This record gives sequence, structure tokens and C-alpha cells, in this order.
Amino acid sequence: MRARSARLERFGAIAQIERPRALVFVDRAYARRVLGVGDAPEEWRDPDDDGAIGKHVLSAPLEAHLQLTNRCGAGCQGCYTGASPAGNDGEWGLREWMAAIDALADAGVFHVALGGGESAALPWLADIARHARARGIVPNLTTSGLDGLDRLLGIVDLFGQINVSLDGLGATYARVRGFDGFARADAALVALRKTKREIGINVVVTRDNFDELDAIFAHARRRRLSEVELLRFKPAGRGARVYAALRCTDDQHRRFLPTILAAARRHRVRVKVDCSYTPMLAHHRPDRELLASLAVYGCTGGDFLVGAKPGGQLTACSFAAPPPPLDDHRPRADELAAYWSRPGAFGAFRSWRDAAEPCASCEYHALCRGGCRVVSAHVVGDDRAPDPECPRVVDHAGAAGARRHLPVV
Amino acid sequence: MNPNSSSLGVDVTFLLLGATAVAMFTPVVGALLRLRKPRVKSPSDAG
Repeated sequence: MRARSARLERFGAIAQIERPRALVFVDRAYARRVLGVGDAPEEWRDPDDDGAIGKHVLSAPLEAHLQLTNRCGAGCQGCYTGASPAGNDGEWGLREWMAAIDALADAGVFHVALGGGESAALPWLADIARHARARGIVPNLTTSGLDGLDRLLGIVDLFGQINVSLDGLGATYARVRGFDGFARADAALVALRKTKREIGINVVVTRDNFDELDAIFAHARRRRLSEVELLRFKPAGRGARVYAALRCTDDQHRRFLPTILAAARRHRVRVKVDCSYTPMLAHHRPDRELLASLAVYGCTGGDFLVGAKPGGQLTACSFAAPPPPLDDHRPRADELAAYWSRPGAFGAFRSWRDAAEPCASCEYHALCRGGCRVVSAHVVGDDRAPDPECPRVVDHAGAAGARRHLPVV
Repeated sequence: MNPNSSSLGVDVTFLLLGATAVAMFTPVVGALLRLRKPRVKSPSDAG
């Protein structure tokens, strides 16, 4: 096993292990006993905070999702960043991103997830990954596999995990993404797996590919991949325009957890889900202590994670728009530390403790945190509203509607 | 103690195995942590 680093938190500490890969949350007694933390540090001044994960925002994010560029020629119809061949105006270059990595490392960030656009096509991708490693941060990468593969094959060891976006097999890929790129993406998976074990698939789950999830897990097994990562379709970028047509149905959301666990068991492939799926997990009422022990939390934007746009604008997560300005200034990724503890930082993303019903009375609320703010903002028009696609919220709205429509006698 | 996966999502495969498996895994991770004590950084040291 390789332990890399640890940092103090109000509840205790977080230690990073590279093999097996894990971030381990420990209370104060454990931090003293195992990590050798000495006399009461400043972070531990309030005894009530001991072991209370979630009571306060972390001292810094665990990970940052850096959208290094918005240049990409794939033109996927649901692209959550709205990427294009020309990219965005004012995109940062290597120098600016290296400064951002320095700021993240100083704050205590453990991982960065590098994405785009198509970051694999950037000639300086290796430089930024090396710099992250030098600063003690593990860089992970998401790629379409459609561009930059030859260069990427020479630098795979710089990354912790590399996932290829594959939103379906064969014709489904074309139907979901709007073009036929399956064969090239699959060829990239094969080539990457020949040189590295930690290769996986990222699947944006839509109503079109939901019924193919089992086949995607089978494909991951055939390709000897390390994981399948499932992401809920988000109404961001071009995805906002096609959201109503591609988002999963309520029935699919309710079947999500048993479907993916059955596929993971059948094909013996590890499965990961993004934080927006926590309401769909809670619907099946799993053991709350087990969820907590696995750090299965809902929206952790602006807390466990942050994002950054191609021009460096800091966001609560990779799907969110930049937060409202404070003092007429929107923060950049290299200004994380100064922004992090400001009152009002990240707007609605830190407001989950003030939830309305039916979240307020939900026994999973401390874990779920009200679901996805990006979905609430798009569907409800209020980024503080309960996630409208959570089964509990759907049922609550249905019951309220039924009450409203009772005849007057 | 709270084992967590690394970035790019949360590993839910353990839900197949249940709390008992996690409880068995926890002391193993603890023992590994003892063997290779990571350097502890305080947020107040950042700068």
C-alpha cells in the first residue's frame, strides 16, 4: 500500500491511499492514534465537531474537475459543456493551469479530474499532469477516445485513472451522441487497456441507453476494464436543449440501483455513480450507516468537489454555471483559498441544510443533500429546490397535486 | 472510519456486499495506514 498524504478537518482528518485507491475519513481519536496527530490543532477547537462529517464544509475540496479546454470536434448532441472545434474565447493555457494546480495543492486537494472538450488533444496535457504529480495531486482523465490517442498512449502512467466516454454500444452510441463514433472509442479502450490497468468507461445514462446498461457492463468485462462510471444526464450546455427528450424516465430512475448492481454482480465489474444519483439510491432505503461508511453523498458541489471552466472560472461542479459574484468578482480556480470560506460562496450549493419538504423530513437528507442543483435549476427554475426527479419528490408532488384536485363539496 | 473511492464518482459496488464486508475491510485499511503513515497537513498551513 502507498499512503500519500493526509489533512486535518474539523471532524478529524482525511488520509489518501493510492493502492488500494481510497480517501479515508477518520475521527480525531483515530487521527491521533494512527496518523500521529499531536497536540490539539486549531481545526479541532470545537469538541462537538469530532466525527461530525457533513456538519461543516470541508477545509478544501477533495477533488477539482478541470475543463482544460472546450475544443472538441465530436459535436455530441447532449454535450454538457457545449464543446465545439473552436473552443471558448479566453481559454487558459499551460501557465495559468499550472498556477491553478499550485493553488489547489496549497489548499490540500487530493485529485484533479481533467476533461474538456477533448483534453487528450492538448499538446501540454503531459506537462499539466506531471505538474499535478509533482505537487502531490493525482490527475485522472476523461477522454472521448476520438482525438489525441497516439499522444495519450505515451503518457498513460501519469494518470491515476483514465475513462473513455462510451454512452452505448454500436447503434446506441450513435443515437445518444448524434454521430457514429463507437468503433473509434472502442478502439481507444482496447489500445489504452493494453498499456494500463486503470482504464474504465464513463456512461452518461439516458432513456435511450438505460436498457443497454447490462450489455455495457458485459462489454467492460470483455475489455477487462477496471470500472464503469455512470453519470446522470444533466441539463447543461447542449444537454439543456435535449434534456426533456433524453433524460431518464421516473420508472428508470426507480429501477436504477437494482439494475446496476445486478449488472455489476453478473459481469463482476466495479460500478461507480456520480453524486446526482444519490436520490435514486436512497429510494431503495439502503442502510444509511453503510452509505455513510462508503461516503455515498448527494450533491457535494462547492464542498467535496469544485469545477473550473476553460477560462479558469471556478464552479461548484463541472455541470454548474459559475456562482453569483461576490463583490462584483467571480472567482477563478487559482483564487480558491480566498473564495472558499467567504459567506455566500457557491450560492445554493451550500444551502442544502435549509431544505424544504419533502427533503427536510427525509431520513436520507444528510446523505443525499437534496439531489442535483443543476437539475433543480433547469427543471424547477430554482437551484435551491428539491431535486424534481427524486422518486420521493415525485411522489410528494403527486400527492400534493391530488390534494389540490379534490372536489369541493 | 470512512473508506471512500477516489475521484470521478463514488464506488457503490460495496452495496452488493453489505455492511459486514465493509466492517471487515475497515481494520485492514487501518492497519495499512499505520504501516505507511502519511504526512498530515493542516489547512492553516496552506499558502
